[in-house]
Amino acid sequence: MSEELRVKRETWEIGGKTLSSRLLIGSALYPSPANMEDAIKISGSQIVTVSLRRQAAGGNDGAGGNQFWDIIKSMGIEVLPNTAGSHSAKEAITTAQMAREVFGTNWVKLEVIGDQYNLQPDPFETVKAAEVLIKEGFEVFPYTTDDLVVAKRLADVGCKILMPWGSMIGSGKGLMNPDNLIAIRKQFPDLQLVVDAGIGKPSHATQAMELGYDGVLLNSAIALAQDPVMMADAFRVAVEAGRLGYKAGTMKEREFASPSTPTIGTPFWHQFD
Amino acid sequence: MIKVSVNGEIKTLEENLNVTQMIEALEYKVKGFAVAVNTTFVPIAKYNDTIIQEGDTIDILAPVQGG
Repeated sequence: MSEELRVKRETWEIGGKTLSSRLLIGSALYPSPANMEDAIKISGSQIVTVSLRRQAAGGNDGAGGNQFWDIIKSMGIEVLPNTAGSHSAKEAITTAQMAREVFGTNWVKLEVIGDQYNLQPDPFETVKAAEVLIKEGFEVFPYTTDDLVVAKRLADVGCKILMPWGSMIGSGKGLMNPDNLIAIRKQFPDLQLVVDAGIGKPSHATQAMELGYDGVLLNSAIALAQDPVMMADAFRVAVEAGRLGYKAGTMKEREFASPSTPTIGTPFWHQFD
Repeated sequence: MIKVSVNGEIKTLEENLNVTQMIEALEYKVKGFAVAVNTTFVPIAKYNDTIIQEGDTIDILAPVQGG
């Protein structure tokens, strides 16, 4: 294989940072902290999602330690704090403000849940929170559905990034409504679009990237795999393949068969048949 | 003495403690946390000016894994 033919890997910008990886990865649900660290490393991801929760006075180990946070800090990657568990704009705003102080970043993955069964985001509270947070200087990464009008409302209040779901959080069902995702991509060519939630297999990530999405964010698909580290590597390749496929331009679908092997000179053809 | 909720548990504290004094009283050892009182964020710069009141709901949050 000629290395000189290989397409130069591009960088991209999101939230004011220039990155090479388009895979955003979660830090939860891994079998162990060491496994999480290895999976994040091999995924090549440069953005990892984190969260805030109540902790006992003694921390993880009774002495104030926090092994998880120590590992993430040592990795030198960008952290994207989420507002998971928020059910109102007020809760999400407060969580974001607390995260900015603890994690030292103005990035926030805005999640306001509207239904406990399918963890569907509440569009009204999400837009309300996004508007306030953007005014307070946050870079908002809003988790939303694939509803085009909600996407418009989020863009209207100043979101530069949109993160529509593929399907329900943790479901692994992939892209439920690719046509809706395509509509959002077409409507917002200049925003950074990341498919967040519902991705279960590497092929789902490839599909999202082939639709022209700028990145994918996933957690369960890697952490709950039989071998999370191997799966992280698989997703690294899948995201890259999807992006290259999109950039290369896919062929148009046809409604009929068309042979790829030349028909001229086909052997055993008889004029009198 | 006053009763407050700290991370969902009822605690008894002396009256008129500010947030810095409350954290000391709770013997909170975790480094890198943030505080909210009644669902309102209290930045570090306001710890000394924020007095804990009877019935307050206090959340002290620290980094954890997230998706």
